[in-house]
Amino acid sequence: MFAYEKRLQFPVKIKNTNPDTARLIMSQYGGPDGELSASMRYLSQRYSMPVKEVGGLLTDIGTEELNHMEIICAMVYQLTRNLSEADVKRAGFDAYYIDHTKGIWPQAAAGVPFTSLEFQSKGDPITDLFENLAAEQKARTVYDNLLRVIDDPDVVAPLKFLRAREIVHFQRFGEALEMTKEKLDCKNFYHCNASFDKIGKK
Amino acid sequence: MDAINQCTCAGHLAMATVPKQEWCEPYDCEIALTEGTIFPCLNLTFYKAPANQKKLKSCSSLSNKDERDREEMMTELSAISFMLNDLTLYLDTHPDCPNGTPLFHELLAKRLELLSEFAERFYPLTHLSMVTGEFDENRYGWSEGPMPWEGACI
Repeated sequence: MFAYEKRLQFPVKIKNTNPDTARLIMSQYGGPDGELSASMRYLSQRYSMPVKEVGGLLTDIGTEELNHMEIICAMVYQLTRNLSEADVKRAGFDAYYIDHTKGIWPQAAAGVPFTSLEFQSKGDPITDLFENLAAEQKARTVYDNLLRVIDDPDVVAPLKFLRAREIVHFQRFGEALEMTKEKLDCKNFYHCNASFDKIGKK
Repeated sequence: MDAINQCTCAGHLAMATVPKQEWCEPYDCEIALTEGTIFPCLNLTFYKAPANQKKLKSCSSLSNKDERDREEMMTELSAISFMLNDLTLYLDTHPDCPNGTPLFHELLAKRLELLSEFAERFYPLTHLSMVTGEFDENRYGWSEGPMPWEGACI
């Protein structure tokens, strides 16, 4: 079960209102490679992982992604909390404002709503771990893209933190892949799906 | 002829490998929090992000001493807790590491102590910290304190 701890994993303390930045960062909440997608991906996949330790890792990383989702939402909230009428008329945030006012809602930077089509739970441990390795790289690229266009140090500090997490998670999923491979036939990793077929268990 | 038995390829075709991380001495916990990893060997930075490894900005602008103390303690708690988060993932794939395991237990104890002290002095961050710390049983407590997304320093 999940229990709330009343703090953010990384502190978010943004002084300056900036709806344009908010709209970009929002992509890491509800966008294709966002934290919501990441968390749902790992927490969904863990049930069909044949190696217990890998299910444990997916639980721990999936939980951490929930923390990251909360950090992103806190950033969007703080970037827009003192929004003026003039701010919402400016191109960039106006369309979002019409539908959500200052409410936080998961969508991509380009306005596409969050959808579970952004992630996969394939029920094959090799396939799912490769999905996760790719997902961490995609999220890292998004953080690179954000860091290239955002200068406010209050915003950069949590983005830098979140980017670094993607690399650590990539490493751990790589190690999880090695742990899974150890349980499979090394002459042919594709002989069966260890999560479905009852043959080939070591 | 059996084609499979003729194959003398080194390693495995059609499969990727990520090398297993070896233990490297972790950062000081406040540096680890700003860097986003406890391991210097995994800190692979992006050229556009600030490279200087420094501790989080303190809330020195706060005029109230109690609030300053609270923010300082919150930073310490965040740093210790993050170290545990990252170490947990490492131990998930290195359960027998002789360096990581004692550090894990040391951090767990330290975090519990800080959570209890924070609940006693300010407000509870978890339900359990109302039991592990000295806490008046006539005080509900759970609704006290700013919500995390408010950014308490401002």
